[in-house]
Amino acid sequence: MADTQITTDLGVYAEAQVSAAAAARSEPGWLVRAREEGARAFAATPMPTPALRPWKYTDLSGHTIEAFAPDAAFAPRVTGSAPSGGFAGTIAAALTDAAQATAVEGALGSVVQGTESKFVAANAAQWTGGVFVHAPRGGAFEAPVTVDVAGTTGAIYPRILVVAEANSEVTVIVKNRSTEAPLLVAAVVEIVANDDARVRVLFDGDWGASTVEFTTLRSRIGRNADVQVASLALGGHLLKQQIEALIEGQGANSLIRGIALGDADQHFDFVTLQDHMGPKSTSDVEIKAALAGASRSVYYGITRVETTAGGSAANQENRNLLLSDRAKADSDPVLEILTADVIRCGHGATVGPVDQEALFYLQSRGIDYRGALKLLVGGFFASVLNDEAFAALSEDMLERVQQKIVNADL
Amino acid sequence: MSEPILEVRDLKVSITDKPEVQIIKGIDLVIRPGEVHTIMGPNGSGKSTLSSTIAGSPTYTVDSGQILYQGEDITAATADERARKGIFLSFQYPTAIPGVTMVNFMREALKARRGEEVPAREFLGELRETLAKLKMGEEFARRYVNDGFSGGEKKRAEILQMGLLKPDLAILDETDSGLDVDALRTVSEGVNALRRPEQAILLITHYERILNYIHPDFVHILVAGKIVRSGDASLAKQIETEGYDPILKELGLTQEVSA
Repeated sequence: MADTQITTDLGVYAEAQVSAAAAARSEPGWLVRAREEGARAFAATPMPTPALRPWKYTDLSGHTIEAFAPDAAFAPRVTGSAPSGGFAGTIAAALTDAAQATAVEGALGSVVQGTESKFVAANAAQWTGGVFVHAPRGGAFEAPVTVDVAGTTGAIYPRILVVAEANSEVTVIVKNRSTEAPLLVAAVVEIVANDDARVRVLFDGDWGASTVEFTTLRSRIGRNADVQVASLALGGHLLKQQIEALIEGQGANSLIRGIALGDADQHFDFVTLQDHMGPKSTSDVEIKAALAGASRSVYYGITRVETTAGGSAANQENRNLLLSDRAKADSDPVLEILTADVIRCGHGATVGPVDQEALFYLQSRGIDYRGALKLLVGGFFASVLNDEAFAALSEDMLERVQQKIVNADL
Repeated sequence: MSEPILEVRDLKVSITDKPEVQIIKGIDLVIRPGEVHTIMGPNGSGKSTLSSTIAGSPTYTVDSGQILYQGEDITAATADERARKGIFLSFQYPTAIPGVTMVNFMREALKARRGEEVPAREFLGELRETLAKLKMGEEFARRYVNDGFSGGEKKRAEILQMGLLKPDLAILDETDSGLDVDALRTVSEGVNALRRPEQAILLITHYERILNYIHPDFVHILVAGKIVRSGDASLAKQIETEGYDPILKELGLTQEVSA
């Protein structure tokens, strides 16, 4: 009975449909098989429930992915000029170039396995367009690669693969936009940073009010390589970003930055992992959320220092500023230190209201309540906004943050 | 005689979070344009509470009485409304606001005070001029508000804001505290240089020394939430030499006075 039920409900998410769609796109055999594997994992995996720790505060019960029809025409727009031997474009285009196709085949699904979760499996089976950014050995992109994700309705499955060969450098800016129609976004971003590579990925998140986003980003970081991931979350109804770093190489560095400004009933959920495997590796996470209306932020992060990662240093911070008494934040940073040989391993979490003394100070100069909060929120975010990880994003970031305060439910 | 800029009528004030603790127990005070009034008094007498209350701090609640500013009852007005009308409070302990630069903050404040956008060029011109009068470098404006400032820098930053905002009533709450002789001179001279003739000053202090620079027209002694004596500058001199004890004894008060 169960089988019949599933087959009926899966619709275009069923394996047969996925195979047919892949064949219609004339995709290579390895990719069709990967999609079929994703489709099978999707059918076999239940929706995550709050019993799973990373989903404790984001309850999806009563919701199904199948209710959102995939937008088969979706493809992100990729703008960027790659150095010789490199690539910046859609995966579909990369597959038509023999050298790039080999690089895609070697890396796609190698960092985020297509079977590992419900949303990742849906993405593995359904992604369209795809983005491949390839920094060749010793090469550097002169300007950031821009990925414009423009969603309308139904479901879109952005898939981004960044491969940075040894001693290369690239910055990718992902601009997330959508209309006000209901939209499900399930994205997967894989980053392979080989030895001495420098990779930056920035999310400029400004979804429409009815968009729900589930992103899994994971980087694999080689010897002395540096991966920085920064996320600005302004729009959307629900956003869950899982940002993970497999810090494998000696001396490798992972930096994760996040800014979320919530209003109304927005829900932002960040999950981070800094998994130190390489000796003398470093990592630093700083996520800040300011919350107006009845908005909510959730943070759950793990810093793990494995036995092989002697001499490493890690820091993890989550700060939440409540701008209304209906706003709520839950913060849970976790340390798993498996070796005695750590340089320093810090973590901090705060949830608190606006500093009343600072508020009075600003108001005593004639600045009204909203204007004062605008300044205070800008100040609260400053340490992250001014961080070099965000440097590639447009300079109007602070202005956009403050503009949202002007209209927020305080 | 000109109309008062500030009139405090039988003001009684308690702490908002502790309504049972009344700090100001009935004060009357009239300040006219251009006048300098000094309020002196032992620790805990209510000097800072009075200044914060006039500026509209939500930490304190007016139990009864009135505050009139330029003839208008502002007892219920918010701090920002009062500031836009021209009341300025130089804080005893200015609050640090990391992440917010002095220049951004002061531009917003000036915009609010004037009720219109201030062109960048005009603002920067006035800022530079005011900084120079206080012997402050321009890099000061790029720092975060009061963040990591020395005691002297904090007080100068307060007077810098006074100079830019051009209030009609400046309340200087222990602007002299924590300053050495040179810093006191710089800050005091800054107050004089930036003060317009019609601007009134309410100066809260423990010590007479700042009065060598900013000459008071009236001196009021505040003890236990009440003004127990008012006089001219000679009253401050008397306090400096004799302390508060003779006055307290005369009034039959037994409040402990710290040095």
